[in-house]
Amino acid sequence: MRTIESPRLRRLLRVLLPALVIPALVLGGALVLDEKRQMFTAFAVAVCAVLLFLAGIERRQIGARRMVLSAVMIALCVAGRLIPFFKPVTALTVLTALYLGGEAGFLVGALSALLSNFYFGQGPWTPFQMLAWGLIGLFAGLLARPLKKSRWLLLCYGLLSGVFFSLVMDVWTVLWYNGSFDAGLWLVAMGTALPHTVLYAASNFAFLWMLARPIGEKLERIRIKYGL
Amino acid sequence: MSLASCNPAVAAVCLLSAAGIAMFCMNPVILALSLCGAVCFSLLCGRAGEGRWHLFVALLFVATALVNPLVSHRGATVLLVVNHTPLTLESLLWGISAAAAVAAALCWFRAFSRLMTGDRLLWLFGRFSPRLSLVLSMAFRFVPLFGRQAKKIRQTQRALGALREDSAAGSFRGSARVFSVLLTWALENGIVTADSMAARGYGSGRRTQFSVFRFRRADGVLLALALLFFAGACIPLACGALDTVYYPRAALPRLTPAALTGYVSYGLLALLPAAAEGWEAIRWKCLRSSI
Repeated sequence: MRTIESPRLRRLLRVLLPALVIPALVLGGALVLDEKRQMFTAFAVAVCAVLLFLAGIERRQIGARRMVLSAVMIALCVAGRLIPFFKPVTALTVLTALYLGGEAGFLVGALSALLSNFYFGQGPWTPFQMLAWGLIGLFAGLLARPLKKSRWLLLCYGLLSGVFFSLVMDVWTVLWYNGSFDAGLWLVAMGTALPHTVLYAASNFAFLWMLARPIGEKLERIRIKYGL
Repeated sequence: MSLASCNPAVAAVCLLSAAGIAMFCMNPVILALSLCGAVCFSLLCGRAGEGRWHLFVALLFVATALVNPLVSHRGATVLLVVNHTPLTLESLLWGISAAAAVAAALCWFRAFSRLMTGDRLLWLFGRFSPRLSLVLSMAFRFVPLFGRQAKKIRQTQRALGALREDSAAGSFRGSARVFSVLLTWALENGIVTADSMAARGYGSGRRTQFSVFRFRRADGVLLALALLFFAGACIPLACGALDTVYYPRAALPRLTPAALTGYVSYGLLALLPAAAEGWEAIRWKCLRSSI
């Protein structure tokens, strides 16, 4: 197989491919299928997006060290999710992304959703959870420099990502139930999920507030010590 | 040949095709068949504690069925008017169908997660993505390992007198300390693991896989049946022979040969897991009685 040499071109392709393939799927879904099948399109897009990102990570030569560290963070997320009312997944994903890069962040977010659902129950919601948490990690990796610099920005990111996660899951709930999007049902779903949304946002805030410095120091230390 | 003992790929195809069609089709006959097949299967391979799960699904069914008429007021047949808002028969029917779809998907995916244990799923993933399946299987192993290590750290800290658990704040601080120690240990341990993997030649060549799962003749028969029924249900579905109209008046699609083929194939597909399980149970009974 031929590899693309120029790093700039490679970076461009990595952004362009998902940015072209996924909108093509959405447009195709909107044009070919009727309104009642929106859910099908949404599901296909979520699965494809997750697969695309994971395939990108699979293709690249990640060192064994980075891989094992990702596995460690995934296991910590899953173990944390097993404790009731204790939701450190977002916080740990964001911190991993800040110190090990956006791709590691996506990997940790997406795979901890997949893995913890072995304990909580797999379902059609798994791809959406994987995508939502993965994207939270990816964007944290992209915004690493400002987020590392300002603590308040990091806490705001935690709050917003809690809300973002809840909104994505509510959209999926409505699509699953109704087949197409319905604003009234979305409001009902958001209303019933409000305690969860608040809990997510607040726990992200609290965990980032408490964990950002100690975990950040540890990850930074590992990174410097072993030259990752 | 029950699904629990057959090749993981075959079990995945059987369950996901049955669940997939029911997720994307709002035909009440298909949904009823799907729910029936899923419940039969989970009853046949049921264990203790299953009653509570079925109760939960039943409650969820009722709740989700009632949400739609309260929110959506489309439809031509008004059942009753409460506070100037009409409750229509059609939106109730849609609610019941959507609730059946949700309940059936829950049952199918529960069966899926019970049948596809970690090793079987990793075998399936590992074919496509060796690196990710390695990360997943390591994380699988780390979850209980970290639990044990946290216990050890706690005991050590207690023996050192560094843990004060006489107040809530103290025990919280203690837990945070244990977590901090655990994290440092886990990261260092991860690096050591990675280095010893590299020392043993990880990443220097193509990775091979050990597998205990074989593809036997019974697996082939089961797979062929599942694919046949899946195709038989998919083609009428794609042609629109199973499309159901809910608004403004609910109507089942006409019973054309295509629709009938769809119903029969999907019914067989949905009952295939339960039938395989039942067949295995009957064979086991016969074998035991002949001893």
